[in-house]
Amino acid sequence: MDINKIKADALVVGGGIAGMQSALDLADQGYQVVLVEKDPSIGGKMIQLSKVFPTLDCCSCITTPKMSAVANHANIQTLTYCEVQSIDNADGHFVAQILKKPRYVDEDDCTGCRQCEYVCPIDVPSVFDLNMTARRAIRVPFSTAVPQLAVLDIENCILCGKCARACPADAVDFTQTAYEIELEVDAIVLATGFETTPIDAKKEYGAGNLHNVIDGLMMERLLAPTGPYARVLRPGDGKEPESIAYVQCAGSRDETLGVEYCSRVCCMYAIKQAMLIAGALPMADITLYYMDIRAFGKGYDQFYQNAQAMGIEFVKGKVAKITEDENQNPVVRVELIDEGQVVERTHDMIVLSVGMVPQYNPGSVYSVGVGEYGFIKSPAPNISSTETNRSGIFATGAATAPMDIVDSIASASAAASGAAAHLEAVQGGN
Amino acid sequence: MEAATSTKVPKILVIATLSGGYAGADYVGQQHLHYATNTSILPVRCPSMFSEDFYINAFEKGIDGIIVMYSGTDSPYKGGPERTAQIIDNTYKQMQERGLNTRRLRLAAICTVCKKPFLKQVKEMNETLDEIGFVQDELAGKGDG
Amino acid sequence: MTETSDLKNEEIKIGVYTCYCGGNISDVVKCEKVADALREMPNVVVSRTNMAMCSDVGQSIIEEDIKSKGLNRVIVGACAPSLHEQTFRGTVSRAGLNPYLYHHVGLREQNSWVHGNNPGEATKKAIRLMLAGLAKARLLKPLDAIKLEAEVHALVIGGGVAGLRSAYDIARRGIRVTLIEKTPFLGGRMAQLETVFPTNNQAREDLHDLIEKVTQHPNITLYTSAEMVGYGGYIGNYEVQIRQQSRGVSGDIAEAALAACTQEIPDEFNYGLTKRKVIYRAYEGCYPSDPAVDWEHYDGKPLDIDGKEVVFENTIKTFDLKVGAIVMATGFNPYEPPKGDYGYGELPEVVTLPQFIRYMGFRESSDELTWNGRPVRDIAVIHCVGSRHVAGVHDPQPDGILNNYCSRVCCTAALHQVNELREEFPQLNVYDFYNDIRTYGLEHEAYYKEASQNMVRFLRFHVDERPEVAAAPAGDTHPVLVKGKDYLTNGLEIEAAVDLVILAVGIIPNPVPELVDLMKIPVGDDRFLLEVHPKLRPVETPVPGVVLAGTAQSPMNIQESCNAASAAAAKVSALLAKGQVILEPFVAKVDLEKCDGTGKCVEVCEYEDAIAVKTITIDGKEVQRAVVTPANCSGCGNCVSACPNKAVEVQGWEVAQFEAMVEALAMEVEA
Repeated sequence: MDINKIKADALVVGGGIAGMQSALDLADQGYQVVLVEKDPSIGGKMIQLSKVFPTLDCCSCITTPKMSAVANHANIQTLTYCEVQSIDNADGHFVAQILKKPRYVDEDDCTGCRQCEYVCPIDVPSVFDLNMTARRAIRVPFSTAVPQLAVLDIENCILCGKCARACPADAVDFTQTAYEIELEVDAIVLATGFETTPIDAKKEYGAGNLHNVIDGLMMERLLAPTGPYARVLRPGDGKEPESIAYVQCAGSRDETLGVEYCSRVCCMYAIKQAMLIAGALPMADITLYYMDIRAFGKGYDQFYQNAQAMGIEFVKGKVAKITEDENQNPVVRVELIDEGQVVERTHDMIVLSVGMVPQYNPGSVYSVGVGEYGFIKSPAPNISSTETNRSGIFATGAATAPMDIVDSIASASAAASGAAAHLEAVQGGN
Repeated sequence: MEAATSTKVPKILVIATLSGGYAGADYVGQQHLHYATNTSILPVRCPSMFSEDFYINAFEKGIDGIIVMYSGTDSPYKGGPERTAQIIDNTYKQMQERGLNTRRLRLAAICTVCKKPFLKQVKEMNETLDEIGFVQDELAGKGDG
Repeated sequence: MTETSDLKNEEIKIGVYTCYCGGNISDVVKCEKVADALREMPNVVVSRTNMAMCSDVGQSIIEEDIKSKGLNRVIVGACAPSLHEQTFRGTVSRAGLNPYLYHHVGLREQNSWVHGNNPGEATKKAIRLMLAGLAKARLLKPLDAIKLEAEVHALVIGGGVAGLRSAYDIARRGIRVTLIEKTPFLGGRMAQLETVFPTNNQAREDLHDLIEKVTQHPNITLYTSAEMVGYGGYIGNYEVQIRQQSRGVSGDIAEAALAACTQEIPDEFNYGLTKRKVIYRAYEGCYPSDPAVDWEHYDGKPLDIDGKEVVFENTIKTFDLKVGAIVMATGFNPYEPPKGDYGYGELPEVVTLPQFIRYMGFRESSDELTWNGRPVRDIAVIHCVGSRHVAGVHDPQPDGILNNYCSRVCCTAALHQVNELREEFPQLNVYDFYNDIRTYGLEHEAYYKEASQNMVRFLRFHVDERPEVAAAPAGDTHPVLVKGKDYLTNGLEIEAAVDLVILAVGIIPNPVPELVDLMKIPVGDDRFLLEVHPKLRPVETPVPGVVLAGTAQSPMNIQESCNAASAAAAKVSALLAKGQVILEPFVAKVDLEKCDGTGKCVEVCEYEDAIAVKTITIDGKEVQRAVVTPANCSGCGNCVSACPNKAVEVQGWEVAQFEAMVEALAMEVEA
């Protein structure tokens, strides 16, 4: 059972952009890093996005090379489809018990050829595409997944055996079980990321029951080149929308949802999406209903000014309610602040600019302190924002607060810097 | 091939430094600005590596205009910009000797964020070439028509 | 004229890959047509497309092709070479190919993104560029990277919070750090703050904790009143010259000198609201605690100290350092409005937020807020002064640049200040003129909420209808009137009579033109130092080994500055921890058969000991030949064009390769 015991310098929890960057920065300094990701592929939320502000780089162009760098780095071992169960202190080291979930596919044998996926008779909603498309019960998670290995979701499997017969590598193994890996390290970086505020959270906005009201992440998928329809269509009836509206702060700055803070990314992603839609559907009218446009980062306000120049309509107003008419067209009831009147406007499609909430409560496993809203809190948020109340455990990215990719990357490198200094101190040299 | 000549467009070669013009061209791209498609940009470390005959040969191969976008005073290379300017000057003399219009060759300092100067250079070279025509005609006919 | 490839007997097999770039290229360029056109060409063994060549899947395809098809050259047409050339060099190298047998063609920044209006021609251009790339690829030669010892020593320029944070993090990794600060005192702009968001901690307490760690760290050497004045070398081996002015007063007479000094000038620490002596401490508790002479303003007259006439002399010390990397933490300045803008500089009741923060710091505490001896009961705050400027509404700055960016910190800083005022002086009435309130951070919105609930009256202006500040008519109840339209109340005309106007001014970079000139660091449209790419290489500059920390790069709050500084430290540590840097092999190489020792190359080379004519032995005969010292060669190519025998080439950038590319570009392309 020695094979399931690993020693390394640092454990990075979470394979999104922050976790990958922290792992790379530690590995580049010569430290041995184990990156643990709960999903079958690394890439996090970022790999689902279309293009990124303010450069409009295709998201894949930024994320996939980092995924590949992580996968190919001699100092990084990536454990996907794994979850950290507990952390103990032993002889001054951290000992992590990690649960390796069964893929029901032999990782050493699978070549990612997808033959299993082609023959699988079971379609289930694709979480990667936010349930807008279907995927097979056995599949490679997505086209740019790292590692390129199939994973079988056993709850939906009917054990028909077609995949096993189709697999040229004989890699499908229905008898696989979960097992534990014991990892000893001297530093831990938590990069557990975020979730978006649920689309059904707000009753006034239809509680997720309106046909042509989607959230920002769904629009990311619609705009992504690998997206469900390869074009922007109304999910309700497949019609090409002529009028699209964004409702800002739909799940942020909202006491009724317990999310009183600003989620920091929604203004910019809405503006970016609006610009991309304007490119894809040049005739469409695009409106943003907002309270304050928060384009604060480097090049962001200039980006906002460009969007205004492109003819995207920015309307200062708080949307009170969204309903739909008999044609399933969403109707917003909005107080137009500049005009001082309340109006109802009908659009073909509404995008709720949903905010960010913590993905994971680190309390039980890591015993690190969290703030009022559940984000991991530093005892010195200004000077050492990636430290936690536990020496040797650092936190980074959207696990510590809502933040965009640029700020997450800075935070991730900062966490790596902190972890490296800690390693230097406890190990006395690299 | 004759039919093609009516739609034939002049060919512009841009020699651009990695620390200057080439990065500037990337910056123009990041801003999604437009310019003519008849431009091909080749990156160089410093154009001081090219002697006069490189440019003459390029014209003889059928390149109608060349813009050398160097880094000028921003160059990371000591002595490179001065030497480049000298070589371009010498090339002008050789072009005159061969009956080539010297306006086909330009030297411009373009920085990493010089989007307007970049676009201006490309536009002006195109205007020049519209006026003076193809290099092949100049090399073959000399003043025909 | 019988130039042949180095791999003489090996057939050249090239793999050509055209990237969709997730639509960035394929939305404009017909990538399949490009791939088809290239497939027909000599030496091309395989020509493929992919949604994202840089993804692991894309890279695996190349690796697999190299192994299974025996490719010995690879070209990828994708984004700019500055972004992913290195990525693909790594890819081919993993498959066993020399990394310099890879060639990258930019089809995005210089094609699809600039020719979106002309897809047909863009496709033709893509084919042309790829054919040129193919022509170069045929002539590529395997090269070996140059490995050099690196100085395990970093220079940090700037002693504000970002420089301190960076220095501390690098030092903790076991790397020697020299920190230079051009003023006599550490702390930078953070020292001028009082309590800070979102912790409400005392800024100088947090700062002093960090300063203590830095000053006590054995790996850190500190120079105040010091500037970098000379710069040379390259990554891993920079040679810099530091000039340090003397402090002027030493320990034993420091207090006496301070007491004896009577010459006063406006105190920049308090933004000119107070005066200080020309022998001074920046503030009580500053570091170093010894006072310093302000050489710029000291009139040179003797001071009477304990009965002795003493004249202070500035002994300037200049010394050289060898460092492997440089951190630019040169910081910011608050924007200063031009005289008359919002009444600034004309009406004494108009101040900037940084000035007001200083005022609250040094004023005698009392139950009543006063300004110029008058009680203050009504205050107006105006946001976006010096930020988010729009052409046609705002005038450009004296350098012709429009401050069109958001300064990020002013909204929260202003509301933080307003809330503190309301708490201390509950009778105070505050009008807040804003455009958008940008309290974006996790705990920042709470300041906005508190202000809203705490009777701060928010008035929203449109960017083209800025509020106007004017002196009130004589005999009015208040000295100043602020007029504006409030679009929270349907464009209602507002006239607020106030005792004080606080301008929430933005952030502009601390100008460092000498350093920018010296080091050739690019500066963006907004005058801030420019990173290579905001996500791929966010703290690196195009100058290898020179990284950015904090507000030298863009407006940031303290937390963001510290994160950026730590990120810079991570990059420096990764670079220097190994004690070795690896440089590209793009240096001059002499063909000893063609060289006959003319020395023309040496005449045009401006690098010390990069190329020299030496006596060497070939076939038992002593001959004069040019010899290159790779570590000293910049790879500029001056020598290449100078050689009458065409005996010198810059490796990887050979003239023959360019000639082949030009020939390809000159051909007509059908598409």
